[in-house]
Amino acid sequence: MKWTFKETGMYEESKEYVDSLIIPMNPITFGAQMKQFSSMHEFMTILTMEVEKQLKGRLLLMPALTYWSEGQEKAGLIDIWKVKLAEAEFKHIFWITSDSEWKRYEDKLPGTLLWIPAIGLEYLEEGQARQMMNDQVRQIIDMLTQSWNK
Amino acid sequence: MSKRNVSRRQFLNYTLTGVGGFMAAGILMPMVRFAIDPVLKASASGGYVATSQKVSELTAEPIRVDYTFDQIDGWYESQVTNTAWVYKADDGKIVALSPVCKHLGCTVAWNTDKEHPEQFFCPCHMGRYTKDGVNVPGTPPIKPLDVYETQEKDGILYLGLLKPHEGA
Repeated sequence: MKWTFKETGMYEESKEYVDSLIIPMNPITFGAQMKQFSSMHEFMTILTMEVEKQLKGRLLLMPALTYWSEGQEKAGLIDIWKVKLAEAEFKHIFWITSDSEWKRYEDKLPGTLLWIPAIGLEYLEEGQARQMMNDQVRQIIDMLTQSWNK
Repeated sequence: MSKRNVSRRQFLNYTLTGVGGFMAAGILMPMVRFAIDPVLKASASGGYVATSQKVSELTAEPIRVDYTFDQIDGWYESQVTNTAWVYKADDGKIVALSPVCKHLGCTVAWNTDKEHPEQFFCPCHMGRYTKDGVNVPGTPPIKPLDVYETQEKDGILYLGLLKPHEGA
């Protein structure tokens, strides 16, 4: 389910079936990495939307957690989220990002970190990009269903 | 010199009617055109969308068929790719099922659950449907999968509107 009026309503109605939360994480900057980060953001948006579409009934997709790549403490972010997440009842929490910085915080994050290197979709032609994306989506869905079945 | 003389009054009459007529036509034409425009537009084959699937290649085994269409979603128009599960039934009729689980809207797949082969399976809450799209009792879905209207044109499969399952 998406973070929209209609679908959060759906979530409230069928809470007992929705036990997973997906939080995309995207860095931003006005510096040299602007293009790289925007490409990551694009990739993450498409990826998470596709995953949500396929597994709509069991997960809630949060709006992307967007943070400044410099000057914003990741540890601080995690602390706030930890408190808030404890208030909600999600059995499975997936943090999904292309920012490799998060690897260093993996054990501090509550839940599972899925680090997916971004594919520069802008360099591919339409059909290829679609194929690549489908493969990625498939792999993530496999990961999610595996952790459900554990 | 011609014998038929045109008087000043007649000349003015003719010219003004002529010019006035053109002006009236110029104004009315677009209006009429606009009013009957929907009639003139060729219908997009009744809402049917072409897939890339050849009908002759369909078998009794359900396969995933993608199709793309323009969707207007509130503010923006976008290209959406949707999927259908298509196979040929025993009586030769083509069956196209919607992959959207009737429980909470996940995407079902054919034959992915090892314990229950030859069924549609929803990975979210273990919902199952038999090959004809009817939900297996005891699993979360309470309704059968929706069915697409199908059409064959030049050997290509066209998908139409989604209808609730008839066996429901």
